[in-house]
Amino acid sequence: MNWFWPEGFYTIAMIAAFALGAFALKLPIAVAMGLAAVTGSLLGGAGIPLRHLVEGMFGYIDTILIIATAMIFMKTIEATGLLESVAAWMIRKFRSFPAVLSLGIVFLIMVPGMITGSSTAAVLTTGALVAPVMIKLGVPVLQTAAAIAMSAIYGMIAPPINLPAMIIGGGIDMPYVGFGIPLLICTVPLAIFTALWLVYPSLREKRHDPALEDELTRMAKTPLTARLFLPIAALVILLGGERLFPEVWPSLGMPLSFLIASVVGIFSGIRWNIPETVTSAINDALPVMGILMGVGMFIQIMTLIGVRGFVVVSALALPAWLLYVGIATSMPLFGAVSAFGSASVLGVPFLLALLGRNEILVGSALSLIAGLGDLMPPTALAGIFAAQVVGEKNYFRVLRFCIVPALLTAVWGIAVILGAQYIAGILY
Amino acid sequence: MMTLIYRAIALFILFFVLRCMFREKDFWKQVTATMVIIPLVLRILMIK
Amino acid sequence: MISIKGNRTTAAFLLACALLLAAFTGRNFLEMRKPDIVVPAPGFDGHMLSEWFPNIVGTPVDTPVFIQDSGVPGGSVLIMGGTHPNEPAATMTAVVFLERATVNRGKLFVIPFANMSAFGHNSPQEASPQRIHFTLPDGSVRSFRYGSRATNPVHQWPNPDIYIHEASGQQLSGSEMANLNRAHPGVEDGPLTQRLARGLLELLLKEEIDLAFDLHEASPEYPVVNAIVAHENSMMLAAMVTMDLEFEGIMMRLEPSPRNLRGLTHREWGDSTGTMPILMETGNPSQGRLRGKTDERLALTGEDKFYAKASELGNLFIPYEKDQPMDLRVARHTGSILKFLATLDLVDPEIGVEVEGVPGYQEMLEMGVGAFLTPLEL
Repeated sequence: MNWFWPEGFYTIAMIAAFALGAFALKLPIAVAMGLAAVTGSLLGGAGIPLRHLVEGMFGYIDTILIIATAMIFMKTIEATGLLESVAAWMIRKFRSFPAVLSLGIVFLIMVPGMITGSSTAAVLTTGALVAPVMIKLGVPVLQTAAAIAMSAIYGMIAPPINLPAMIIGGGIDMPYVGFGIPLLICTVPLAIFTALWLVYPSLREKRHDPALEDELTRMAKTPLTARLFLPIAALVILLGGERLFPEVWPSLGMPLSFLIASVVGIFSGIRWNIPETVTSAINDALPVMGILMGVGMFIQIMTLIGVRGFVVVSALALPAWLLYVGIATSMPLFGAVSAFGSASVLGVPFLLALLGRNEILVGSALSLIAGLGDLMPPTALAGIFAAQVVGEKNYFRVLRFCIVPALLTAVWGIAVILGAQYIAGILY
Repeated sequence: MMTLIYRAIALFILFFVLRCMFREKDFWKQVTATMVIIPLVLRILMIK
Repeated sequence: MISIKGNRTTAAFLLACALLLAAFTGRNFLEMRKPDIVVPAPGFDGHMLSEWFPNIVGTPVDTPVFIQDSGVPGGSVLIMGGTHPNEPAATMTAVVFLERATVNRGKLFVIPFANMSAFGHNSPQEASPQRIHFTLPDGSVRSFRYGSRATNPVHQWPNPDIYIHEASGQQLSGSEMANLNRAHPGVEDGPLTQRLARGLLELLLKEEIDLAFDLHEASPEYPVVNAIVAHENSMMLAAMVTMDLEFEGIMMRLEPSPRNLRGLTHREWGDSTGTMPILMETGNPSQGRLRGKTDERLALTGEDKFYAKASELGNLFIPYEKDQPMDLRVARHTGSILKFLATLDLVDPEIGVEVEGVPGYQEMLEMGVGAFLTPLEL
């Protein structure tokens, strides 16, 4: 039986249809994904299977609720003036300590990702908070976006919550226990590198923008009262409580927590137009929500017509020395569809192919590499939102600055896999 | 109880997605919104 | 660029399209919730699980329990299929027992559709077939639903971000909350899946089940496949059976139930009741991650070129040349269960159960599942 025909052909046709829609016809990415899915099903002899197209979307129904509500929360704290005021305060406070400031910024961006397991949440909360600060302090716009995107991904992978690791572990019945230190090993060195590579050099130069002081005064026009922080405090308590004390804390879920925290914003003492804020939040979130729907259709059709098997088994069929190259390339590339999808579709077979090493370390490293998928267009959940928070329209310009840390991340992930036995020997 | 709250959240989001869609001036962006509407409707009605 | 102006009219048109699509697909999704018809063999009484555990009465997880009591003193055996409705050989094995068995000693309990809610939908992005069909000797056709691994989100939503197994505090990915085989021994007033697990526990306790089978299938690339997983309580029996099966050329891996993996039948039923729990797995390419084109044919034949390739590469845990048909998978289950029943009274002469009318390994392999289903009376 021919290995490539017809599934390999379908693969190329689906990618070509997507490229045609997205780049030649300049359709929105969501629509181009849908077009690619329909192309695949027509070629695969499945006609236009409405049931499959709609069913595929449901893979991300929870994710779109999270994205929509997270965006509402973001717009709320923007509307109350909190974001700008905090940024101004931070600049004044830490301007003279560039190294501490750069590490602090990266860590701050990581925190919501660590707690929620979502890079999007990290970008949209603390990422958006520090973005103006970084730019005012002289970090170029594109480096700022790149640093936010990378930190958000490390936050998503860092403990306590790492959804790709849970997904990979779930695929081989490995409970999500004992991942804390392995995940720190995976992320902390990379986070430090990112801070020193992308942020520190610009901070050290201390380029003094003469208009900075005026700008700071303007930004700080909303006085930083305790009430202004109420929405953030509410969010930290709601999400943190659920993660840290899951046995006793009611499980509200991220969408409800984001909404409650947004409602708390009403009491922050500032008046703002609620319906318009929510509308603009949804308007900003719609492209990504739509992309996820398109991706859902795309994966379902891939599975239906055999493209998924072709991709997975082709990756597994690589010779041993190429297996690691395959992991380091195919997982981030598949992340173009989604990092979670990559963890599930490729992460589990790779972990099975690597059985016999320390599974927790290997699973952690695979989740790190899968996390890179959040940089990969068209979905690029971390990257596109990071570009958005700094006001950059063209994500590809941001991506350029992610390349060095991303390559290093892939290499580090592979190094952890190769050294899994050795590291495990030290840890356990 | 939680299911009801989440259905309400989905309905809330659906309302604003519709609002955006009816204000949108680009047809293809309206199509993107349409893609989001379908699963929201089916989940709110507890069909899928 | 195909630039088209949008306005309120186009928005209204698109909204109408969306609603039409939702209505059309919605009808298909609702269709999946109609229960499958089974024809119990003479002697079986039909009950509902809620009779043992009223907390699930009227809920979508209440499920039929069929009992055949021979009247001759002996043991009690439970055969449960459908914990994961995307593992169809497990369901079909239970159905074959239900439609064929005559119990001559002891009591036989059959639950063909353990997670009834999960039968009513398919998992997104798996592109599963919705039904599988079997042709009977008289030419008629019976069909059964191919469902999802998880409880229908329509019945249990949203999942938490982290699922905490109540009895142990073990943390799992939130989606496992809807997985019946991570919910045991269950929670009395918990979420639906956890309540269902509790109902099953009540049945085991109140009926003093001696031997309980939880039937499954697994991906061929998953290490626990073509396997029997046994609790300490059932290990001796399982070891005897595995040796016997091997002697007859039916290879089964024997795995001890891991102590640190909680919520599964082979651990919790053994820890919480006096029963001997047995979980069995056959290899099902239609649920695996390496599969190519996904359809009913794959579910029934298991024929897949990517699995053949993976087998060459040494990535599989079952012998796989070109297929893994349903008849073979059900044959492995029925053959093994019959061997367990034949061996049961060697462990304790008081708890023997005798069943006839159910095809063994060879007979099932030769005649196929359809031959052992009863035609529906129209």
